[in-house]
Amino acid sequence: MSETILKSVNISKIYGKHIALDKVSIEIKRGMIYGLIGKNGAGKSTFMRIIMGLITIDEGNIELFGETDKKALQHARRRMGQSIETPALYPELTARENLQAQAANGGVSEREIDDLLHLMKLEHTRKKKAKNFSLGMRQRLAIASTLITNPEFLILDEPTNGLDPSGIVEMREIIQRLVNERGITVLLSSHLLDELSQIATHYGILHNGKIIKEISKEDLALETRQYVELETTEVQKAVTVLDKLGISDYEVKSKTEIHIYERLDDVASINRSLVLANLDVSRIGTTRQKLEDYFLQLTGGNSYV
Amino acid sequence: MFNLLAAEKIKLSQSKKLMIVIGIFLLLPIIQVVNTKVNVAYGKELVQVIDTVINGATGILMIDKNGLTILLVISAFISFFIGEEFQNGTIRNALSLGRSRMHYYLSKFATAAIVSLFGVIVLTAIGMISFSIAFGFGGVAEISNYVPYAIKTFSTLYLLILANVSIYVMISFQTKNSGVSLVWSFLYTIATGFLPNIFQQTEHFKHVSNWFTETFLFYYDFASPDGLATYPNMILVSIITILLSSTLGIILFNRTDIK
Repeated sequence: MSETILKSVNISKIYGKHIALDKVSIEIKRGMIYGLIGKNGAGKSTFMRIIMGLITIDEGNIELFGETDKKALQHARRRMGQSIETPALYPELTARENLQAQAANGGVSEREIDDLLHLMKLEHTRKKKAKNFSLGMRQRLAIASTLITNPEFLILDEPTNGLDPSGIVEMREIIQRLVNERGITVLLSSHLLDELSQIATHYGILHNGKIIKEISKEDLALETRQYVELETTEVQKAVTVLDKLGISDYEVKSKTEIHIYERLDDVASINRSLVLANLDVSRIGTTRQKLEDYFLQLTGGNSYV
Repeated sequence: MFNLLAAEKIKLSQSKKLMIVIGIFLLLPIIQVVNTKVNVAYGKELVQVIDTVINGATGILMIDKNGLTILLVISAFISFFIGEEFQNGTIRNALSLGRSRMHYYLSKFATAAIVSLFGVIVLTAIGMISFSIAFGFGGVAEISNYVPYAIKTFSTLYLLILANVSIYVMISFQTKNSGVSLVWSFLYTIATGFLPNIFQQTEHFKHVSNWFTETFLFYYDFASPDGLATYPNMILVSIITILLSSTLGIILFNRTDIK
């Protein structure tokens, strides 16, 4: 069984009368890319800040790299890196100087700076100050800055925020490369759920400060997979027809609705068989539930994520 | 702690704020000596008690002569130097690596103290040189042994400045914003600088004024035997101010949530 990197048990954070986090428990194992999904104000950033030790908790426990003691936790945090919300950079410094400052903060050598500048495609910036960088460059520099201390666990809060489509793709590639080449475990949040779905291996859905669902990529694929949606008033009769056609992977969702998960390219033939069996088919067609729809279905709202 | 100080050194190496502070401390004595020279040329007679610095020897009192300016410049520097870490989010870079908040606080205080020391050394050295060129080195009345006096006086004056640095650092860590810190630091300086004048008029609050370092910095004569006799008091008040404000600042910072 792989090592647990982060385990939070019943973490709560209360600001006055507002419960920002309500008994949040998650477990992240080595090698996971854990996508934290939630609306604005759901508590994603608060949770991440708590893990980084920037915010105190009112209730619950954190286990990091197997450490739970306050002092040991502080020490364990040296094995982590973070980029929370806006890229935290020194605007008056160049990319190299920013990395030098962070290397000094972490008490590590500067010898990886050139490699990181190259990895993040920032080697050409030379004397350009960070304040003159584009947002994409700043995001890349912020990630380089977190990598200078050789973290095993990376926390990235909205790393694609404000990036253009090519920047988003670039950031996704960078994260995937870090996971593949350096074996880094990642806790990631994003507004762009379909984007997140392309890299995350596990998901936690945070709603009003509570984790309402944890799901793996595989289970999510099952729950959001493509299917043929069949609407008829005679479900029992339709089931008999499907059985006769040799279709076994289907699910009766309600008195009028069946989801068929096989022979997706053969909708016309299924429809013909149903009609020939004197069934009233009010609707039939392939559909796929997007991660956004799945999220909205779980949170019971149509608010922006 | 040394790692954090090394990071501060890198941050300050390209800092415009530091350049501005050093620039002010470089130019101020030159402007003052030119101004004094012009006044003397127009018949003004220099009096040490009033003018504070009248020749190269009394140049050691440049901190005393420019107390309010030094405090305002340093308070502005500290407000930006610390406030921007909160506003840019860069404070997270060190703290999220598990660095102790006490060490972080102390590294900021140490950096501010070193910058202040460097600034007042530049101010005093340029003051002494330029006043020596304009008016000769001369001496300090009633002081026979100049070097020990100069060392003692400079150290005491710096300690009075350092006590204020400690307060400004505490204010900056609490306000977490350059602008707000600037306003509160200014109000603190003005209030503690000018309230003693009012307190001195009352019997009940007379003694309170001696618990503020500004009282010594603004109202005492560092070239008189009376002033010299008060040095132990000044040192005591400065050390107590540094210890109390730093302890309070660290305790409050430890309880602060970082956004």
